This record gives sequence, C-alpha cells and structure tokens, in this order.
Amino acid sequence: MLLYRSDEWYNKLSHAELQKLMNQNKAWIESLTAQGKAKPGRALERRGAIVSGNNGRFVIDGPFAESKEAIGGYLVLDVETMDEAISIAQSSPGLSYGGSIEVRPVADECPLDVRERELAREEQLATV
Amino acid sequence: MNTQNQNGYMLLFRGNDWLKNLSSEEKQKVTDQWMAWFRRLTNEGKAIAGNPLEREGKIVSGKNRVVSDGPFAESKEAIGGYFLLDVANFDDAVAIARECPGLPYGVQVEVRPVAAECPVASELKQKAQFANA
Repeated sequence: MLLYRSDEWYNKLSHAELQKLMNQNKAWIESLTAQGKAKPGRALERRGAIVSGNNGRFVIDGPFAESKEAIGGYLVLDVETMDEAISIAQSSPGLSYGGSIEVRPVADECPLDVRERELAREEQLATV
Repeated sequence: MNTQNQNGYMLLFRGNDWLKNLSSEEKQKVTDQWMAWFRRLTNEGKAIAGNPLEREGKIVSGKNRVVSDGPFAESKEAIGGYFLLDVANFDDAVAIARECPGLPYGVQVEVRPVAAECPVASELKQKAQFANA
C-alpha cells in the first residue's frame, strides 16, 4: 500500500505546472493499472477528525491541510515484493514537488493475531 | 463541516505501540472484538474494504527519491490499518469510529472523507475558473 504524505504543496504550482503534473500522474496511474499492478486508489479530503479515548469520547477536528505528514491519498498495489513497490513509489511524478510516500506491506492476517500467538508460545515455553 | 459525502469515508487506525502492554488474553479479546466489528460492518454494508498493515515499511521522499526506514513498530502516529466505509455522512463515520475496540488502549482513529476526485484536480478547476472570470 502506498500512502501519500504531504501538505498542500500543489497550491504553490502555476496552472501550467499543475496541468503538466496531473497529466503525468494520470498516465502513471493508467500504466500501473493496465499492467495489473495498481487497484483504484483514492484521494482524501483535507478535513476530518481524530477519535480517541475510552468509547471514543474525544473527537477533535484534525488539521490535515498544513501538516507535511498528513495523508492525502492512497494506492493499493498488487505486486509481490517490497522492492517493486518501492520502485513504483519512486516513479511517482508528484515526488519532484515535495511530500513523501509511505510504502507498507498489507498484512496477511492481523498483527494482533500474530502477536497473540507469540505470547501464547512464550507462556507455553515458560510453563515447560 | 459539510456532513454529506457520497464517496464514503476512510478510517485510519493510528498507534502501534499499545500492543506490547497487553497480556495474551487481552490481546485475544481485542482481536476477536475487532474482527467481529469488521464482520458486522461488512454484513451491514457499511464497510467495503479494510486491511491491517505490517509493522514495517519504507518512506520514499523528495526529488531524489530517497528511501528510508520509517518508525512503524513503536510509533504512536504510525498507521496500523484502515477501513473504507460506505456511509453517507460524517456523523455516521464518527459513530463507527467510536466503536473501535482499540480506543480504550490508546488507539486513535482518523476519520477522513474520501474525495470525489483528486484535490489537485479541483484546485486546477478553480484556477481555470478564476482565469476565465
């Protein structure tokens, strides 16, 4: 999974620059999709909220526009190796203008399950 | 906030450091609750996708496409997984976020409206409108 992290850097581009980048981006996504390497990605609105605390009692409107770390969108890749996912991320046209792309393997199973099994094994060993 | 959004909402689960403080039983309990929660939302037609992410990964950044290791395992901010929700308004999405079984343990749920189109595209349209005005 590719997670796009950036602030609203595109506000600083001229109309012509923006148009060029968008065409590049469109061609990039279309080529990945045609090769069966990308599933439809989505962009996220620059607004939203953070829910936290017991029973979700805190709901805070998140500032997502200015933070360089904020996630602006994602793309799910259908590739076998981390190296291939990284090289696809590196070919993203938007990187020239700023921001970064987080590349994360999608888990086969929930990491909670994996950790639970580890702990169960440790406990079993301890009782032997 | 504009509360209607026909493109759905994304829940991003933040925080990977809370797991290590739980006992095996507690972990099993949260896992079961989380799975049951996702199954229920899927059966109700409210969740259309969801995935956990591995506690590892890389960050690619800048003009030079530098690849670096990210802190994913022990970070409070790191994203551990996501749900894509098919609900029509923000309040419904927040109400679902508030049911997250990880919340009592310190998980934070980011609720974000999915954009109809790339925000860069809307920006471009606005600029074009101004230019033509």
